[in-house]
Amino acid sequence: MEMSAVGQSHSMLDAQERVSGRINYVLNVEQPGMLVGKILRSPFPHARIVAVDVERAERLAGVGAVLTRRDFGPTSGYSGRYGRIFRDQSVVAFDKVRFVGDPVAAVAAVNEDVAEEALSLISVDYEELPAVFDEEEALKPGAPLVHDPRPQQQPAFSKLIQDLPPGTNVCSHFKLRRGDIESGFRESDFVFEDIFRSPAAQHVPLEPHVTVAQFVQGKLTLWTSTQMPHAVRSQMAELFNLPQSRVRVIVETLGGGFGSKGSLRLEPITAFLALKSNRPVKIVLRREEEFVTVCKHPATIRIKTGVMKDGTLVARQVTANFNTGAYSDIGPVVARNGGSAMSGPYKIPHVRIDSFAVWSNVVPAGALRGFGVPQAVWAYESQMDKIAEQLDLDPVEFRRKNLLHDGDLFATGEKLADMHFDELLERAAASVNWSPSDARWLNPDNSQSKQSPLRRGKGLALVIKATITPSTSSAAVKINEDGSLNVLTSSVELGQGAKTVLAQIAASAMQVPLACVSVSDPDTDLTPYDQQTSSSRTTYSMGGAISKAAIDLKRQLCEYAAELLEVSLNDLILEEGRVMVRGSPSRSISYGEVALRSNQGNLIGRGAFSTRGGLDLETGQGIGSVHWHQGAIGCEVEVDVETGKIKVLQLTPVVFAGRVVNPRLCELQLDGCAIFGLGQALFEEMTYDDHGQLVNANLGDYNVPSFEDIPWKVNSCALEHAESEELHGIGETLLPPVMAAVGGALYNATGVRLCELPLTAEKVLLALRNGRLRDQDAH
Amino acid sequence: MKQIIKLKVNGVEEEKAVHTHQTLLEVLRGEHKLFGAREGCGIGMCGACTVLIDGKPMSSCILLAALAEGKEIVTIEGLSEPGKLHPIQQAFVDHNAFQCSYCTPGFILSTKALLAENPSPTAEQIRHYLAGNLCRCGSYYKIQDAVLDAAARLRAEGANPTRTA
Repeated sequence: MEMSAVGQSHSMLDAQERVSGRINYVLNVEQPGMLVGKILRSPFPHARIVAVDVERAERLAGVGAVLTRRDFGPTSGYSGRYGRIFRDQSVVAFDKVRFVGDPVAAVAAVNEDVAEEALSLISVDYEELPAVFDEEEALKPGAPLVHDPRPQQQPAFSKLIQDLPPGTNVCSHFKLRRGDIESGFRESDFVFEDIFRSPAAQHVPLEPHVTVAQFVQGKLTLWTSTQMPHAVRSQMAELFNLPQSRVRVIVETLGGGFGSKGSLRLEPITAFLALKSNRPVKIVLRREEEFVTVCKHPATIRIKTGVMKDGTLVARQVTANFNTGAYSDIGPVVARNGGSAMSGPYKIPHVRIDSFAVWSNVVPAGALRGFGVPQAVWAYESQMDKIAEQLDLDPVEFRRKNLLHDGDLFATGEKLADMHFDELLERAAASVNWSPSDARWLNPDNSQSKQSPLRRGKGLALVIKATITPSTSSAAVKINEDGSLNVLTSSVELGQGAKTVLAQIAASAMQVPLACVSVSDPDTDLTPYDQQTSSSRTTYSMGGAISKAAIDLKRQLCEYAAELLEVSLNDLILEEGRVMVRGSPSRSISYGEVALRSNQGNLIGRGAFSTRGGLDLETGQGIGSVHWHQGAIGCEVEVDVETGKIKVLQLTPVVFAGRVVNPRLCELQLDGCAIFGLGQALFEEMTYDDHGQLVNANLGDYNVPSFEDIPWKVNSCALEHAESEELHGIGETLLPPVMAAVGGALYNATGVRLCELPLTAEKVLLALRNGRLRDQDAH
Repeated sequence: MKQIIKLKVNGVEEEKAVHTHQTLLEVLRGEHKLFGAREGCGIGMCGACTVLIDGKPMSSCILLAALAEGKEIVTIEGLSEPGKLHPIQQAFVDHNAFQCSYCTPGFILSTKALLAENPSPTAEQIRHYLAGNLCRCGSYYKIQDAVLDAAARLRAEGANPTRTA
């Protein structure tokens, strides 16, 4: 019997269902009598709603309900307003629409065709308003106000987000103040200032957002594609004025999430349609609707860094504007997380950061794998390369000189431990056989053949990333009369292998075979509280809760076994699914028998795992993360200077993982991070026209990496540490550094330095042409 | 307007009343309740809805159901016998060649078509053939390993056909 499940590369426990098409996604949920819901969306980026006429739609045969702003407000008893931080969103638009795609009305009908026809029968009169799309434009005096008056802030976030004056599009302002920035720049030999931009990008989980809502005897049940079942429950309870016990959220397996399935999405609109039609209602988003539901924050980051001649970093000032679009969603926390990461894995004594979430008339931005850190790393690691060039330093040496080590203070003032950046940098450099002459500026007679249009270059980048702190997970572990285990958890399986990894942790903790363990899907009526499946926290946090539940369960097993075996508690040991008397192995009793003879039916252990921390509102000082995720990427590219196309030849993502529970599933996520980052590095960008209309909202025009876009090999590597028993989440860490590593390699290959993602062939070619023109002028 | 068509899905022919504008994917999911084919993009770009039509991988999201009449339609549910996975499926399990697995049926069916055309594909040929199937989780390297392995298993079975009985 194999007892140490942790550390083994088990295939996913539900692998057979997955390869035979039988696994149950939320997409498959159907209820008897279910109607199909459809959403009417705004064609304007910013407009006042003058009138909504639904009479003809309501009369259409087969229509169960039409939902509009009339259904909300004081007389209805439903405010219809929601939002995790600001109540700036409404179930359907009330007074005005704020982006192209904003829901204006919705219908539920017997089938898709009738629902579509009903939508076409709704007429809406709009009065167009001036709109603003860019985060920097939105901050200018006189810019159209997206929200006026300023929306109300949820009390739970008052310690996280500062109250700001009305009259601007500033949604939130994160401040970090460390040392004395002015004297830092005065002391510096050189000061460098740069601007880096990241565009909006899509999550593109292949399974779209889906919600099925049903009211039975006043209780709302939701089957929904969410990464946060408990947060959905509490917000829905508030929207429907129900106790949380009368909202049930069930989450089947998700076909990917990547952060997109975080906040409330389709749940409010679907549930109000269900209430109004008195039938179960299902809404499935079409791909083009996915594009207008949530995205990665476009960001403009101004970064100013002071440095000594020898390459010692002294001071850094950053102004970051994260464009959170029409609604704030979790944007203020993204801006805070990205903001607090701006000093990177480097010792910088003087740091001043102002990071803003800004409202504008584009698609709302929210959490996307990396949570603000990809934008930050693109800026600070690209600038590190530029500074190294200006100082004529080897970029690897320059980074090494400034790395954070155990005992150093982070920009938030917290003391760091378990730092592994020396090794990570070493590994990344070794992966591409880095030598100083790989830096273009240290190799003036660049030896690359000019016969061929192909130029090669190497690059690397580092990342430090927080995991959400404070946070709480709880779990229950139930032992049955045959000794098998049910793990009750609200962690969501979205492809990361959570159920398998948590089963491995439970099997290891309880000393039972993995095959005896079954892990639940989240069901808020049955499974204990979990904050969210995000922030790379499930293995660490829910794993911690399960370990504690196992301790509780083992205590109960021993107590009952002591009675049954008539020995003292101290004489008992637990091994291989049995409670044994120390020293006399013949006297033992199986877990199942203990459960059976305990007269308890079954035994349930429970455990909660929570972390503490938080940052001061004025200074950004405090505990930003219970521990820090650390990673590095090395990459080599080949650029065709005749077409501008970048081909990434190899990528080596290296992460510090503490201890790995399932090496193969870990490797899959590391590969996934690298490939996800590659898409954002090379071509992923949501493109708007001048009127705020998204022009590439489909997978024909918006490309994600296919088999033919990926490097020949990605050499993913998770560093384990013998002394470290701690589990580190690895689901996001290696996405953020990909873009800067590729950007650096592009420069070393061609001399083209781009400051705006993605690094498309067009941009590279244009920069090469401009460079040639400049060279000609110079001669 | 509905019309009656005869669809032969996974070896069973049935009459179905379908709208002329209904796609094969809608009919497979809505009428047959075969949930292994899934919409990802709705425009034939992602491959999540791939089924085999007379052995060729096609995007069922852009194929009208009526046009599939008289053809052999195979979905992922038709690939394995009860209790026994197809060798390609088994290779995907053994390599854990997926994360969320929403794309997996499409990859497996495209692989089946690939290996029927070319029993010994190189890694380059695999990448080229499967470029129309997207895996957003980025499990491509494990998929490539699984396909190479599946090819080897099928070749071995071909050499020793009694094992497939």
